[in-house]
Amino acid sequence: MKPSKDLSERALGWLLLSPVALLLAIVVIYPVGQLIYSSFFTIRLTEPWLGTPFVGLENYLKAWEDERFWGALMNTLLFIVVTVPGSLAVGLGLAMLANMPFKRKWPVRLALLLPWALPLVFAGLIFRWFFDNKLGFFNDILVRIGIEPQPWLTDPVLAKIAICFTIIWKSSSFMALVLLAGLQAIPKSLYEAAEVDGASKWLQFKEITIPMLMPAIFVALIFRTITAIQTFDIPYAMTGGGPGEATETLAMYIHKTTLDFLDFGYGSALAAIMFIVSIIATSGYLKYTQRSAGRD
Amino acid sequence: MNFAALKTKTVVWFAALIVVVNGFFPAVWILFTSLKTENELLQFPITYIPRDPTLVNYYQAFTEKPLHLFLLNSVIVAGSSTIITVIVSALAAYALTRLRMPRRNLLMGLLMAVAMFPLISLIVPLFQVMRELGLLNTYLSLILPYTVLSLPVCTLVMASFFQDISPDLEAAAMVDGCTRVQALFKIILPLAAPGVFTAAILAFVNAWDEFLLALTFLSRESMRTISVGITLYQGEFAFPWPLISAALIVAIVPVCILIAIFQERVVGGLTAGGVKG
Repeated sequence: MKPSKDLSERALGWLLLSPVALLLAIVVIYPVGQLIYSSFFTIRLTEPWLGTPFVGLENYLKAWEDERFWGALMNTLLFIVVTVPGSLAVGLGLAMLANMPFKRKWPVRLALLLPWALPLVFAGLIFRWFFDNKLGFFNDILVRIGIEPQPWLTDPVLAKIAICFTIIWKSSSFMALVLLAGLQAIPKSLYEAAEVDGASKWLQFKEITIPMLMPAIFVALIFRTITAIQTFDIPYAMTGGGPGEATETLAMYIHKTTLDFLDFGYGSALAAIMFIVSIIATSGYLKYTQRSAGRD
Repeated sequence: MNFAALKTKTVVWFAALIVVVNGFFPAVWILFTSLKTENELLQFPITYIPRDPTLVNYYQAFTEKPLHLFLLNSVIVAGSSTIITVIVSALAAYALTRLRMPRRNLLMGLLMAVAMFPLISLIVPLFQVMRELGLLNTYLSLILPYTVLSLPVCTLVMASFFQDISPDLEAAAMVDGCTRVQALFKIILPLAAPGVFTAAILAFVNAWDEFLLALTFLSRESMRTISVGITLYQGEFAFPWPLISAALIVAIVPVCILIAIFQERVVGGLTAGGVKG
């Protein structure tokens, strides 16, 4: 290959990448800079006479002592810790069920696509209705089998359970679709060979299915974790963060701080903290893609 | 023999039933609720199938709030961001898969990492940027971030399609006097049309579903998108469920039809992004 041609190809490559670069610069990179910058200032739109003085790390120190921040952080972590493995388990179950030899594939496929396509906030609204204290579906079932109806969305612990349940329902179907593709890529001959060797179904699951699914599981987990860090819509629609602040997430608190309390400096510091949490998760993903790229 | 066959058949049916009920139940529940009168709704014990179905809630859903405007706004925002995302990510995917770029794996990884940063944590500075640019309450304030929202998955989907096209075709076209850019538009894109199409559906659904940015950047009621518009039916204490359900059904149906028609493409796209990513 002549070097001149190689160079023009490279130039064309950069040219084709420039729209992406421009978009990312406007929507991600400049705002990230602005975010970090603002987090060192006091910017309260409710008290304009304060001006916007530089306050160093004061906003971060404020977060350290802010119980509401810790509560929101803990709720977010709780939702991650419960719903990531939860939706993996449910998703794997759904994927195994959907992997059966059906004559018609579309009802099952559509049943997995529907929860994925449903907006998060709609899922939240619908399940708020399911968990309604008086007229909800879950309490109706409880009453029918002779158990006291529960105050699902007004009790701090039950509200957390209801939200986790909804998040798992909503996210497990995407998980199932990714895992189903992974399942279908496992060669049948592996199972046939195991069958000949007299391996039990459980042993086949443990020794063939899970190891072969590992790459798909890993990718699904990373995607799910990154989404879980940003949990907003479902608690917003189901409880609005209540009762009190029992189900408020970090994203909800950031939204409140900036757009209701109009405290942009402190909100920026909180967002920067969330941003750091996400970088840790994304760098795990980056490491994984680099590793698999090296392997190919 | 017969018994074993029957057993397998039962297990398969049962499996299908669980998956189908899990996926469809909430939508069916909302559909039934949307057909109930306020009176029937408040009965205890609750009814499941509506006793005398009525369409009055659907009429009210359109008269009480500008539901048609919410839908229109969503179509404009989701449609425009889909078109931009597809073009931009097609160019990027082409550069990263078919041109000899230095360190293209690293570039791809970097692109993914930047585009996957949570937009929620950027809501504060984005709000400031939009305010400074005077874009608050304009469609553009959502179109730009939504484009970035779908960039990773669209780039991955199209990259996986581009990789499967033989480089000989392109070389042949260029021998025949096409430039590289002409080859992209005349040879590669038509061949990768399924991938382009899949990416478009994914981008559309992503934009249609987004809530937080839409809630923040478009505060005028006539500019609200459907995901935010739905939440406007509730009062501070009152929840007119049949009305909300009717509006939900109207909002869900377009996307449902879209994914029902193109379900294989959608699944292929989702898993290309997931498994190959």
